[in-house]
Amino acid sequence: MPLLEVKDISKSFGGLQAVRGLSFAVEPGEILGLIGPNGAGKTTAFNMIAGYFPPDTGEVRFKGENIAGLRAWDISHRKVARTFQLSKPFGDLTVLENVMVGGFHHQGSRAAARGKAEEVLAFVGISPLAMVEANNLTVVDRKRLELARCLATEPELLLLDEVVAGATPTEAVAMMEVIRRIRDTGVTIIMVEHVMRVVMGLSHRVLVLHHGETIAIGDPQAVSRDPVVLKAYLGARYGNA
Amino acid sequence: MTQQGPRNGLLIAAPAAALFVLLVLPGFIRDEYYLHVLVGILFFAYMASAWNIVCGYTGQLSLGHSALCGIGGYISTLLFINAGLSPWIGMWIGAVCATGAGVLVGWPCFRLRGPYFALTTIAFAEILRIWIDNTEEIFGIELRGAQGLSVPLKGHAPALFQFDGKVPYYYVILAMLVGVMAVTWWMERSRMGFYLKAIRGDQDAAEALGVNSTRYLLSAMALSSFLTALGGSFYAQFFRYINPERNMGLDLSIELALMGIVGGQGTVLGPVLGAFLLTPAGEITRATLGGKFPGLHLVIYGLVLIVAMLFLPKGLIQPFRRLLRRAPARSGASKPTTT
Repeated sequence: MPLLEVKDISKSFGGLQAVRGLSFAVEPGEILGLIGPNGAGKTTAFNMIAGYFPPDTGEVRFKGENIAGLRAWDISHRKVARTFQLSKPFGDLTVLENVMVGGFHHQGSRAAARGKAEEVLAFVGISPLAMVEANNLTVVDRKRLELARCLATEPELLLLDEVVAGATPTEAVAMMEVIRRIRDTGVTIIMVEHVMRVVMGLSHRVLVLHHGETIAIGDPQAVSRDPVVLKAYLGARYGNA
Repeated sequence: MTQQGPRNGLLIAAPAAALFVLLVLPGFIRDEYYLHVLVGILFFAYMASAWNIVCGYTGQLSLGHSALCGIGGYISTLLFINAGLSPWIGMWIGAVCATGAGVLVGWPCFRLRGPYFALTTIAFAEILRIWIDNTEEIFGIELRGAQGLSVPLKGHAPALFQFDGKVPYYYVILAMLVGVMAVTWWMERSRMGFYLKAIRGDQDAAEALGVNSTRYLLSAMALSSFLTALGGSFYAQFFRYINPERNMGLDLSIELALMGIVGGQGTVLGPVLGAFLLTPAGEITRATLGGKFPGLHLVIYGLVLIVAMLFLPKGLIQPFRRLLRRAPARSGASKPTTT
């Protein structure tokens, strides 16, 4: 049984059809890349899966249960975590305190939450920043913090919204390494990403959205050669590369 | 953690010393007036701390906490006058009613983002004040409108919350202040405190981490309402008189918010610091300027708020906190190369 099964979900905002009849399934342990031009509906799809707004139609089945329409915190308690495209740190808390908020998800005691947070900070590689106020972080460190906060909730499904955006090539490689290690712990991942090297390097399968509809899904290499995809999104440059 | 040693020591020693001073202080005060002012300071420190639990930690601004104070004061007093129930018991009933009112006001607002909570709290408090102002009696119970209610004098009757002199009141409100600070301190370090601060930081992000924002905002509002109403009952007993203007007017709400904001919201000590600075300042300006320039103390309050927001947006507590943080940082940073 797939871990997550999205069945024919749609969402429109006024006259704009952001997502139209989107369906896909994710197997446990898989990394699914979600790509598409700006405005293709990637973040809207995330928002529907994570409970920020209900889909107009369709179902989102997580471990067989329809979670469409549940509130964000309820979905979080079912072990689905997400990061935000624009990082949302709790600015006046330290990095450690930020991650402890996630740590309290499963542990009621402060010491246990702190232990979980310290473990996750080490995993993501930002332990030296533990006592820094989140407001003072760089863009990339904010992304790492978001990721750490999510991991502290011990998710089974992780939705990553452009975690590599704004990173230098070296930082991007480091982040890819972290994502790989997260997958190795058994977490299933759906990632929205614009940096092709990252998506192609990490994903088992890639789904291409265009104008809210799926235009291709499958093996990264096959998708990147698909003429429909090349025309819609990747452009001739990637095709030649 | 050796690093936390000196900081924790200071964090415990300073409040303990302050508490000791406050405990022995009445022994050195001969003038009743100063004791009266002191009780006022402790009362405002208590009320601002209660306000802080919902407003400071969640970032939601309430300008209607005076209504909760009024509910506490009126209910304990009405129960005393009409049923002979001791205010020691009545104050808990008032607190439960205020909690219900606070939750009812918060419930629709906390589902919305924006200034709705602040606006609704003002409206709620003003409606209640105007209603009582104009109501002589309801269901045969005398409210006496704008005249207010006097608490019947029973002489020295500790069981009825009435004492000879002001010293006992001083210790009651001091105990209440220590209580509210202990609750705040405990809450700040608990899951609830972390969740409230997360909601203040970013509600969407908090929800993504499993925080049921509506539930936690309402819990904070309930706790804050309960404590505020207890303060209102104390106020009624201390002055033996309540009226809508003083007990549930907008002035009181604004004063509480000012003390919290100027002192430092979202901290245990901030609102207390704010009350200890602003209450005497208000008392002095009222006493010296009130006759000639009525209302001038409000202008001064406004100026204090502007200056505080410009230079210490996190409150007067901020420099102290920085000092506390620096102490361990310095001892820890002595190893790496620092000049």
